[in-house]
Amino acid sequence: MEVLPGNESCTMSLKPRVVDFDETWNKLLTTIKAVVMLDYVERATWNDRFSDIYALCVAYPEPLGERLYTETKVFLENHVRQLYKKVLESEEKVLVMYHRYWEEYSKGADYMDCLYRYLNTQFIKKNKLTEADLQYGYGGVDMNEPLMEIGELALDMWKKLMIEPLQAVLIRMLLNEIKNDRCGENPNQKVIHGVINSFVHVEQYKKKFPLKFYQEIFEGPFLLKTGEYYKQEASNLLQESNCSQYMEKVRYGETNIRQTFIIIPHRIQHIKTISSSHTQSSKTAFSHFICLCLYHSISISLSLSLSLSLSQALTSVVNFREPKSICKAPELLAKYCDNLLKKSAKGMTENEVEDKLTSFITVFKYIDDKDIFQKFYARMLAKRLIHGLSLSMDSEEAMINKLKQACGYEFTSKLHRMYTDMSVSADLNNKFNNFIKTQETVVDLGISFQIYVLQAGAWPLTHVPSSTFAIPQELEKSVQMFELFYNQHFSGRKLTWLHYLCTGEVKMNYLSKPYVAMVTTYQMAVLLAFNNSQTVTYKELQDGTQMNEKELQKTIKSLMDVKMLNHDSQKEEIEAESTFSLNMSFTSKRTKFKITTSMQKDTPQEIEQTRSAVDEDRKMYLQAAIVRIMKARKVLRHNALIQEVINQSKARFNPSISMIKKCIEVLIDKQYIERSQTSADEYSYVA
Amino acid sequence: MKVKIWQWSGVASWSWVANDDNCGICRMPFNGCCPDCKVPGDDCPLVWGQCSHCFHMHCILKWLNSQQVQQQCPMCRQEWKFKE
Repeated sequence: MEVLPGNESCTMSLKPRVVDFDETWNKLLTTIKAVVMLDYVERATWNDRFSDIYALCVAYPEPLGERLYTETKVFLENHVRQLYKKVLESEEKVLVMYHRYWEEYSKGADYMDCLYRYLNTQFIKKNKLTEADLQYGYGGVDMNEPLMEIGELALDMWKKLMIEPLQAVLIRMLLNEIKNDRCGENPNQKVIHGVINSFVHVEQYKKKFPLKFYQEIFEGPFLLKTGEYYKQEASNLLQESNCSQYMEKVRYGETNIRQTFIIIPHRIQHIKTISSSHTQSSKTAFSHFICLCLYHSISISLSLSLSLSLSQALTSVVNFREPKSICKAPELLAKYCDNLLKKSAKGMTENEVEDKLTSFITVFKYIDDKDIFQKFYARMLAKRLIHGLSLSMDSEEAMINKLKQACGYEFTSKLHRMYTDMSVSADLNNKFNNFIKTQETVVDLGISFQIYVLQAGAWPLTHVPSSTFAIPQELEKSVQMFELFYNQHFSGRKLTWLHYLCTGEVKMNYLSKPYVAMVTTYQMAVLLAFNNSQTVTYKELQDGTQMNEKELQKTIKSLMDVKMLNHDSQKEEIEAESTFSLNMSFTSKRTKFKITTSMQKDTPQEIEQTRSAVDEDRKMYLQAAIVRIMKARKVLRHNALIQEVINQSKARFNPSISMIKKCIEVLIDKQYIERSQTSADEYSYVA
Repeated sequence: MKVKIWQWSGVASWSWVANDDNCGICRMPFNGCCPDCKVPGDDCPLVWGQCSHCFHMHCILKWLNSQQVQQQCPMCRQEWKFKE
């Protein structure tokens, strides 16, 4: 129904004239009845009524606008009351009926607003209270009943005469429906959406707090229920199911909330409340990945402003931590990547892994402590590379590049060097093989040999071995030859053998089948000792391998655990007098197997080490940042300095104020900066 | 032989060995890099002179380029010649 107010001017005069109110009102009443119920209204009638309203507003001798307004208000009042009765009578179907009438009424009200445009723009605007009037009071007009535009008036009527009396019933039924939805029943989504939407829609004319009404009557109770529901659900699920089932169910649940929430997108940040109750009650690694799925399903359909509030919510979810404990997310995320990039990754194709890693990056961006992640990631990458556990080198490289894109060159430079060391080593192996072939006397290493040569600073490895070690005679030749080769090729470089990382394969010829075991070099040394005699004493092993007690015991135990070695006295504890022999009737399901050691698992000490290494790095980083800032600014107030430091380090981690203060102290001690003599809270740079 | 080694993968790390810890020009550790580089390692190598003094390659080249008359080792003032 397009409204073209200008059309009438050719058929009638715009001059004020005497108008019979009752006659005009009766005509008008029939039309607005039709309009508000969305009945068909002829274009000509519409136009006539439009000019009738104009005529009433400019009537002579007295304009009749005010009376028109009052009558219209009474009409709307009655209409809504009627609808209310009908809704009330429908009993179980309250929601459906409410929704149907609301759809009709809200549309009708829009059209009425158009029809009354002249009244709106002339009579009501002029008499409307300004902001200032509202604030400071204004004599003459009744403050309780300010004039409203017809559309607003209609919605206000609906709110006062429909929603408010029905509120308790509506909310109860809504919450019920949503509960059903969560339990997997299929409710009428459209109705739920529509009803919730109406709570927002009735306040659309308000300039201040347009969502207040919605928040008061619906959102509060809804969030309360939702929180309860998910707490309950989470604890139930935790008891009943394992991690992955839990994940799946949670995911399903979240999708449902999303649908409900999406109608009123401003409120999405409240998912936060719910999700953090998950994190609290579950503490499982995977709860963090809920946000991942959640984010992805939502982000597709949301606009930018929304994703901003969502991202704030996610930041707090991802970085959530129990009070007084450290945020686990960076470590868990690193582990998550490790699992994806490892060979064992449940038969996933490279493309699938790639997709998962791409979505991982999305979550990664929300992490505050990126440096912790980096440390853990580097350690896990090192293990993957050295032990040959990577799914594919292409995936590894792709991942490093992704991290580089997200955090910059510096963040991944070490990772990149580790990666290149691998290809450099492959190259070296080739050269070394050629080198052996071209020796004057034929050299037979006796074994198939390969080597990784790592650049000392780039790898997160301890270069101080946990034990001394004498390499088995069988390996000596290889080591010697390689050192010879290396020194010929590179001058000024020193090779340090990291025996605790070396691995090999041994073939066991004394058993029923020719088993091949994948072992560490330590294990290899112990096994080789049995080539010379049936039984070997602990003392002999100690002398032969030169290992310290702790490592040697650990190694022997690992071999006894897989039943390759027998402890002759059958005792639990290994003592200095213990003697050992090979288990000659050893069997295994596989002909090639791996003897695991605790070596390859993460020990708590390692994790602790990683954390303290991160702390040290942070201190250096902060000190460097402070010096950089002070060098540029020369003099700076304490608070401004802290702020700058936080800004500069935000990309890597969120520094604690106390740590920054400590770093400032250290730099004052080292005389990089000094306290300004003029002001107590100012520092100046010492050149 | 009851137990025979089939295959062995060794792991070793390399670092620079110089007669000092720090580069005499930039005072940075040899196992770090010169001030112009970001990462130590192959990209920022060390070089030795025949006088047996050692520097970051980038550092000594900068020094030699800045010398107008004679190219001398900044440590011992002997004529600088790269060691083979």
